[in-house]
Amino acid sequence: MLKDITLGQYVPGDSVLHRLDPRTKILLMVAYIVAVFLVKRIEVFPIIIIFTIAVTLLSRVRLSYIFKALKPMKLILPLMFLMNLFLIKTGDLLVEWWIFRIYKDGLINAVFIVLRLATLVTGTSLLTLTTTPIALTDGLEKLLTPLKIIKFPAHELAMMMTIALRFIPTLVEEADKIMKAQLARGADFESGNIIKRAKAMIPILIPLFVNSFRRADELAMAMESRCYHGGEGRTKMRVYSFKLIDLLAAIVMALLIASVILLNKYMPSIW
Amino acid sequence: MPIVVEKLTHTYMPNTDNEFVAVEDITLTINEGEFFGIIGHTGSGKSTFIQHLNGLMQPTSGSVTVDGFDMSDKKQRAKGRARVGMVFQYPDYQLFDSTVLDDVSFGPKNMGFAADEVKQRSLEAMRMVGLDPEVFAEKSPFELSGGEKRRAALAGIIAMRPKYLVLDEPMAGLDPSGRREILATINSLRDELKCTVIMVSHSMEDVAHSAERIAVMNDGKLYALGTPDEIFSKTNELISLGLDAPRTARLAQLLRERGCDVPEDIYTNERFVEWLKRRMKNA
Amino acid sequence: MIRTNNIEYSYDGAERKALDGVSLEIREGEFVAIVGHNGSGKSTLAKMLNALLLPDAGVVSVFGMDTSDEELTLDIRKKVGIVFQNPDNQIVTTVVEEDVGFGPENLGVPTQEIVERVHSALEAVGMLDYAKHAPHMLSGGQKQRIAIAGVLAIDPDVLVFDEATAMLDPLGRRAVIDIASRLNKEKGKTVVMITQYMEEVTAADRVIVMSGGKIAMTGTPEEIFRRGDELRALRLDVPVMVELREMLEKDGIIPVTDALEVEEMAEVICPLLLKN
Repeated sequence: MLKDITLGQYVPGDSVLHRLDPRTKILLMVAYIVAVFLVKRIEVFPIIIIFTIAVTLLSRVRLSYIFKALKPMKLILPLMFLMNLFLIKTGDLLVEWWIFRIYKDGLINAVFIVLRLATLVTGTSLLTLTTTPIALTDGLEKLLTPLKIIKFPAHELAMMMTIALRFIPTLVEEADKIMKAQLARGADFESGNIIKRAKAMIPILIPLFVNSFRRADELAMAMESRCYHGGEGRTKMRVYSFKLIDLLAAIVMALLIASVILLNKYMPSIW
Repeated sequence: MPIVVEKLTHTYMPNTDNEFVAVEDITLTINEGEFFGIIGHTGSGKSTFIQHLNGLMQPTSGSVTVDGFDMSDKKQRAKGRARVGMVFQYPDYQLFDSTVLDDVSFGPKNMGFAADEVKQRSLEAMRMVGLDPEVFAEKSPFELSGGEKRRAALAGIIAMRPKYLVLDEPMAGLDPSGRREILATINSLRDELKCTVIMVSHSMEDVAHSAERIAVMNDGKLYALGTPDEIFSKTNELISLGLDAPRTARLAQLLRERGCDVPEDIYTNERFVEWLKRRMKNA
Repeated sequence: MIRTNNIEYSYDGAERKALDGVSLEIREGEFVAIVGHNGSGKSTLAKMLNALLLPDAGVVSVFGMDTSDEELTLDIRKKVGIVFQNPDNQIVTTVVEEDVGFGPENLGVPTQEIVERVHSALEAVGMLDYAKHAPHMLSGGQKQRIAIAGVLAIDPDVLVFDEATAMLDPLGRRAVIDIASRLNKEKGKTVVMITQYMEEVTAADRVIVMSGGKIAMTGTPEEIFRRGDELRALRLDVPVMVELREMLEKDGIIPVTDALEVEEMAEVICPLLLKN
């Protein structure tokens, strides 16, 4: 059933990661991405791996959730690996067999790219796994607020995200009901070619759109009735404040980046 | 031949943390031609139950057969489904085409009838539900009033000439006249088409007036099954389930509690008046 | 307190006026029911009461404030809150307590006070246990109680229920009605209950019957339900007990009575039966 889809991957918990301010987490995620891309030499990569594993353990999120996040990568990762392995033809020739030749740079690059993608996905998915969608939205709004000076609609964007999060389950449920109503009238969504199938969707899409427009209309009226008048002069029920752990987390991240930079420069080559 | 439901159980998301048994071990038979009422509060499983009757949902265990067609079998299901028309609570989930006539034609068209047969069935269905084709055939279904939309949705199912008509809360959200008119339409359809009506409703008064047999659902189980006389004599039980007993049944119950000799089979105003007149004459 | 003076309104492209000369007054602390068939104009009237719609002609005045004065819109909405028909389409955020806080947030209420208001609003509708829940997992009746809490958190003097029970099951409907009358009796809120269910208006101080954009009848429930035939002609109905009363009175089996509810009818009939 469509209704079974749960939205957002948030896993409730009370770990250090869960308790960090969402703003800290968003900024740290950006810093983490920077750190991963700063790594220029494969010898330096273990530090990122260790860090990622340590943070994953700290989050106390079950590993199965991490694997779920990695699942969409299961095609891309091997593909990237193989492409790099066989297409880069510089450095020493390591293996030669039939038409295949593997060079040293190819191997290094292949390993590098896979590690980079895997750690990036793991690290960033920790953000959504430990932060509720609403906290993420709040965090983004707060971080983007300075951009209001250049007329960037930070509040409106956050409000749109909130409403979208609120209504996606409702719309999914509604789509399910409409589909059943049309199935009961003998609609067939499963047979025929693509064009026929696309046409079969019309009896679902039209009621869904018509209802959504009415919903939007009613919601706008209900929001107005509850004194909504844009972001101006609004207060928040939930306020976030940076705490000691936010500072500590920032220091740890700064250390990571610093060590990546230093190791890039000074770590002796093992090759 | 009837609809036979045997040991029907439906479990949502089986074998997960969110496993939920919506319908449990229901066995009943809906006979041809009867007016069968289903009552139960939200979450009692009645909506899951009726979706099994035309194969929109498959049992986790147990079986549903419609005129002998097993609804769990993909091939037989199509034949069974053609006999069971299902009208959902909100017509807005169903109406989509640019004119009422086109929308009503959707079902018969899907059944593969020739164009003139489709048109003839659809026009007839519109007339039967009280939508004059001259006025409504070319109107957009989105311009209709709440009651008219309800009728258009009903016509869309009637045009498929089902033997069994399943109605989910057909009167919800209508004004009192609208409710009376839809109920009258349902009764006239039954006379005209000789079809079986299976109606889910919150309104005990409506069920009390129309149904010949009533199934009471609670917590996914069949709590009681019987004639209105049998069901509404248990007013206190209905109330304890969080259901509304018909007000007249509650009055009768209250009077009994105060020592009056009101018989148990009184749950409509008509019966109450008739009984009270007789009772006062004898006194 | 709220006064409408001969107001008119037409929706874009509609041939007929949705409101056609409606004048009424709602007094402080009153429980007023407005009934009418589909399309009688009762919901349009509701939206006039806090400036969601503005009259084409005539004046709506709320605590002396003219709703057509845009400067006053926010002040009017602080005084008059509306609970709408579809519970799904008035809940804005993904967490119950946050949704209840939406109104105070819009008004710039300090954070600590929002938290207190949310708490007492949820308490008033008996939904405190659900503060952290996701609204889409709740039943229709529960959602509607959250919507009521959302309005209460703004602390309005007047609560308008715009067919707020129409999409609920009997349990949910009863919960909403109970909350409305409790708020009226215990907290002194003025309640305007707009509905099609005649059973829901028996507790009102005053009933206004609308038809074709006009006020057709007005009076106490006892007075209105004496005029059953007129109500039926307006596509309405009388409560089941009133129907029974009419039938029994007509044949002279019981004396003429004002009984509207099951208990009241039992009071009338019980002595008759026990005497004989």
